[in-house]
Amino acid sequence: MNDRSKIKIGIIGMGRMGITHYSIINSHPAVKLESIADPSGFVLSMINKYLPVKTFKDYNELFAESKIDAVLVCTPPNFHFPIVQKAAENGIHVFVEKPFTTKLNESSELARIYSVNGLVNQVGYVNRFNDIFGKVKEFIENEVIGKIIRFKSEMFSCTISKSDGSSGWRNSRESGGGVIFEMASHAIDLVNFLIGKPDKVTGSSFNHIYSKNVEDAVSSTFLYRNGISGTIYINWSDTSYRKPTNKIEIFGDSGKILADQHSLKIFLNKSNEKYKLKQGWNTLYITDVFKPVPFYVRGNEFTSQLWHFVDCIQGKEKTNRCTFADGVDTLEVIENIYNDYELNGKI
Amino acid sequence: MEQIDKIIFGDNQFFGINHMSQEKAQQLAEQFYDIENIYKVYHLAYDAGVRAFMLNSHARAYDICKYFKENESSFEGVSWYPSIPYAYKYANLVAEKGIMPAINEVLFNDNTLGGVLGMIAKGGVAVLTKDAFKLMQMLVDVELRAFKDMNIKVAFLQNIITDLMLGYGVKEIFYEFCEHIRKRYNALPGLVTQNMPYLKSKLEEWGIAEVVICSSFNKIGYLMSPDRDSYISSANNNDSSKYQLIAMSTLASGAIPAREAYEFIKQQNIQSIVFGASSKGHIEETLRLINI
Repeated sequence: MNDRSKIKIGIIGMGRMGITHYSIINSHPAVKLESIADPSGFVLSMINKYLPVKTFKDYNELFAESKIDAVLVCTPPNFHFPIVQKAAENGIHVFVEKPFTTKLNESSELARIYSVNGLVNQVGYVNRFNDIFGKVKEFIENEVIGKIIRFKSEMFSCTISKSDGSSGWRNSRESGGGVIFEMASHAIDLVNFLIGKPDKVTGSSFNHIYSKNVEDAVSSTFLYRNGISGTIYINWSDTSYRKPTNKIEIFGDSGKILADQHSLKIFLNKSNEKYKLKQGWNTLYITDVFKPVPFYVRGNEFTSQLWHFVDCIQGKEKTNRCTFADGVDTLEVIENIYNDYELNGKI
Repeated sequence: MEQIDKIIFGDNQFFGINHMSQEKAQQLAEQFYDIENIYKVYHLAYDAGVRAFMLNSHARAYDICKYFKENESSFEGVSWYPSIPYAYKYANLVAEKGIMPAINEVLFNDNTLGGVLGMIAKGGVAVLTKDAFKLMQMLVDVELRAFKDMNIKVAFLQNIITDLMLGYGVKEIFYEFCEHIRKRYNALPGLVTQNMPYLKSKLEEWGIAEVVICSSFNKIGYLMSPDRDSYISSANNNDSSKYQLIAMSTLASGAIPAREAYEFIKQQNIQSIVFGASSKGHIEETLRLINI
């Protein structure tokens, strides 16, 4: 494929996710990385020295001067709204990192714009592209464990393990910091993806462990009009975990699913012929369900989600698996958790 | 290029790593929380005939290296295959502080690194940022400090960094890393990857040779991008005087029975196998299966 027919992509924000996404998307044969915007002089000087892309200190300049078809937005979350607005004005497909934005009304506005402009819009909830969670979704949709009654969605990591006077964006809720925006958003999106958006949020409590200005742990209860209920618990200061771990337990009236990113156990009251699952405990490992990716950097799901974004732009996929509307749903739950905590979570 | 060892004993099992199951990883993490249990397994491996060890620069690597140095007489003729950096340490630091403050902390806030401070004198990070390769070399040196005075045969860059850099397609970073390892450590440069065929083709294109490449290699194609057949044909067409290949994850984290796994591996054109085991029985069985 010659460069002219390739999809031209820009990246805004070269922090941890921008750096990862550059590597993944740059290996896609149908993509040409065109431009980067980042305010850091150090980052730009490195890019200018070694990489064949245009660089800009300000994203406005990138939109004005660089002709791109699609953009990956990887800035701190409080910048997502103005950047995606600008992308919409320029008719550009958008992949935006989670948690989409920091305010529900802003994210709803962006979802509204992108629901009518015909452009691809995707939020980076990467669990939706994990092979195990994809399998769990398939089992639920095919009622393998019957009617869902209860669930538990948990996430643990040792991301923040020291008291620190750090003043970066991660230390303020307004800019999108704290365990709810950064990590619980994944656990909540997983619930929305597998079970659906809760109708009511209650019993929310927060803990500060090492951070002064933001919460380090959160738990909450989700209620549904159809009778389902479930809980979430997320803690990013749990030093017993070497790396981030998502766990979900789903109880149905004919069985139970226990899953994390790497394995899936399913208990059935009766055997299931379609999926060759026996009565009692069945174990599936990631090796049973994985689909190899063309280029691996951080896990299959990170490659799959960006490949999916490109497939949607090329029209090979009609339905995006994590749209702005999905991002709005997660943000709505997040706002409900904050509100519930303010109203009922303090003594 | 110097021949690498045919069999290398890895360390993932000690650090609660199991790519297939977090539950298994948890069991291992509990078993090896007491470092004495790790030393015991090293003795079992040595007694069974293992003479080559791969070790990630995890926080516990310092203690393990110290133990080997203090007990040198019990481990004669051993070669080391360190793998750097321990990426989660950096990932968490970067998440906590941002990229530059994280580098700053690794290079400057660790009191054991007086030498590094001396080299940079007053300019600090500002001087470093003018030269990415100098920065990379210093990070490599920090990570390899634990292995000082040990017989390093190959020093590896871990796959999370190798593959990230591979995506950027910048020749210089690979060239400079390899040269630094050759000159400073008199060792072979190694690259761990989950994209072996692509990495090898890029190294060939860039003219970077005499490199050891370590990648997952198993019968079911697990953690082998883009697919198993590309690995088999890349290995078949390989000139082992330029690239020596090491297979890891040969059992696909336990998804393939050992005998079947090694039957497949032994048909491939690869030079070495890295394996992990935590009991006498497993170590001996693996050595027997590889050697048959």
